[in-house]
Amino acid sequence: MKNHSSICSVVAAGCALGLALPRQAWATVSDDDFNALKKIVQQLGDKVQKLEQGHEQDQQVHQQDQQKIEQLQQQLGVTQQLATNAVQKAEAAAQVQPVHPLPAGPAATHNFTLAGDAEVVFGRVSGQHSAFALADFAPIFLYRANDNILFEAGFDFMLANNAPAASGTAYGFDLSFATIDYLLNDYVTVVAGNMLLPLGTYSERSAGWLNKFPDNPLPRGLLPGNGIGAQLRGALPVGDRGQMVTYSIYGANGPSSVDGTGNSGSLDLGGNVGVLSGATSLPRQYGYGLPGTTFSTLGNLHSDPSGGGRVGWFYPWKPHYDLELGVSGQTGEWNDLGNRWSAVVVDATLHVSPYVEVKGEFINTWVDTSDLGTIRPNGWWVQAGYKFSGLNLDLPLVNNVELVGRYDQSNDALAPSTKTDRYTAGFIYYFSNTLLFEGDYEWLNSRGPNANLYPSNELLFQLSYGF
Amino acid sequence: MNWPSSMKRRWRTGAGLALITAAVLAVSGALALSADAPADNQAEAKAAKKPAAKPSRKKLTGQELYAINCNRCHPERYPTEWNPSQWKTLLLHMRVRANLPAKQAKAILRYLQEDAGN
Repeated sequence: MKNHSSICSVVAAGCALGLALPRQAWATVSDDDFNALKKIVQQLGDKVQKLEQGHEQDQQVHQQDQQKIEQLQQQLGVTQQLATNAVQKAEAAAQVQPVHPLPAGPAATHNFTLAGDAEVVFGRVSGQHSAFALADFAPIFLYRANDNILFEAGFDFMLANNAPAASGTAYGFDLSFATIDYLLNDYVTVVAGNMLLPLGTYSERSAGWLNKFPDNPLPRGLLPGNGIGAQLRGALPVGDRGQMVTYSIYGANGPSSVDGTGNSGSLDLGGNVGVLSGATSLPRQYGYGLPGTTFSTLGNLHSDPSGGGRVGWFYPWKPHYDLELGVSGQTGEWNDLGNRWSAVVVDATLHVSPYVEVKGEFINTWVDTSDLGTIRPNGWWVQAGYKFSGLNLDLPLVNNVELVGRYDQSNDALAPSTKTDRYTAGFIYYFSNTLLFEGDYEWLNSRGPNANLYPSNELLFQLSYGF
Repeated sequence: MNWPSSMKRRWRTGAGLALITAAVLAVSGALALSADAPADNQAEAKAAKKPAAKPSRKKLTGQELYAINCNRCHPERYPTEWNPSQWKTLLLHMRVRANLPAKQAKAILRYLQEDAGN
């Protein structure tokens, strides 16, 4: 009992103390504390309001996302329907016409690009009136089917005077080359079609705006410029300083006979396309035909295609300083009598700065003929150029000039033969890197029965544009 | 068999061309395979361990290869003259025409495409 009363007294005292102490604490809150608390409460209220606004925005975005998902689901449904239809159609087609499916080629990354050049030539030739002699447009169509396949075709549209045979002008149209190039790997490219023949380097590097002269070296007339056939070509790098060995090997129809005979005057370097068909008056020995056909002059007038190739070595010791040497050749029958036409070309090019270039070719051919036996038309040419910009003169116009010179000679090796040699001096003015104005004076000296084919001198000007 | 001489010559020409073609394809195939194979890590590791006798020369850049290969036939064309896709086509054309090695052609293409026009 005593314990119970003492516990009650302790509890009563505790309650009294508890009621007294809070009163003391409220009494000690200052105005500053109150204001601070009020500020905190207001800030919390602002935050809650912002969160509510953010929540509303999130809800709007969510609704938009849902709408997009619904649209995509609808599109997916349409696509699935199309795919289903396509499968059904394919199945139906397969049932109608069972075809072995071929593997698809690589995805098309094709591109079509136009390059090329255009020229206008003015000539003052001894014994003739001066005149604008040539207007030439030579586009190159480049179609890249993908990373490994390129189709390229070069054309020549030329305008020439039709006089004295007729009035007006005549249009010349020539397919310079048209090939399909397939890059088999890093070292071999297969080229097929109408190819520029790699006999020397001139044919492949003689577009109007690349050539430093308006006309070709004389002995290039002894070689075919192009041929129908197939070719393997490529390069093998030697070391990592740009040195390389290049090669080309090809089979082509080769030169032909104008009339099917094997006489020396019948050699046709630019002809020889197609197979025989149609009627003709030519005797049997001048042609052969496919079964069921008769003979004509439209097709090959020899049975064997020609084979040829070039091996080159390119050695640069630093940029703009390099030497290139090459040996090339071709051999094959040129008529149905079994007469052969063969050629060897040695070419060299030297650069000893960005301003100096020297290059040339030696050409020798062997032609089996019915009337003269084996003849050896031959020739060589060398040319040099020097750009005045190498002098570092403070003369902008002079810096755009390049002086050029050339010596070339040719021997037709007929009996009796005609030998011609020529000296050429000239200049190139570069309006830009693609617009060139060339001027040349040429001294010719020709001896032999065909000497009258050559003038004694010529003055030529050419404006050329590469694009 | 007593074939006419022209037939023999034809066979010789054909066989010769076929032989050379086969040799070119075989050698190029072997070279391509060796180039495509993973880099010779062991050889590289050995080379890395050995101190170099001479400081190796810097690899030629696309710009240097462009100056070496392109200017020898025609005046310099500037990267801005064509767009990247056109450069790709043109380099394919020039790789065939000028017999450019594949890696050099690719390096030149990268250089030209970096500042290509639109």
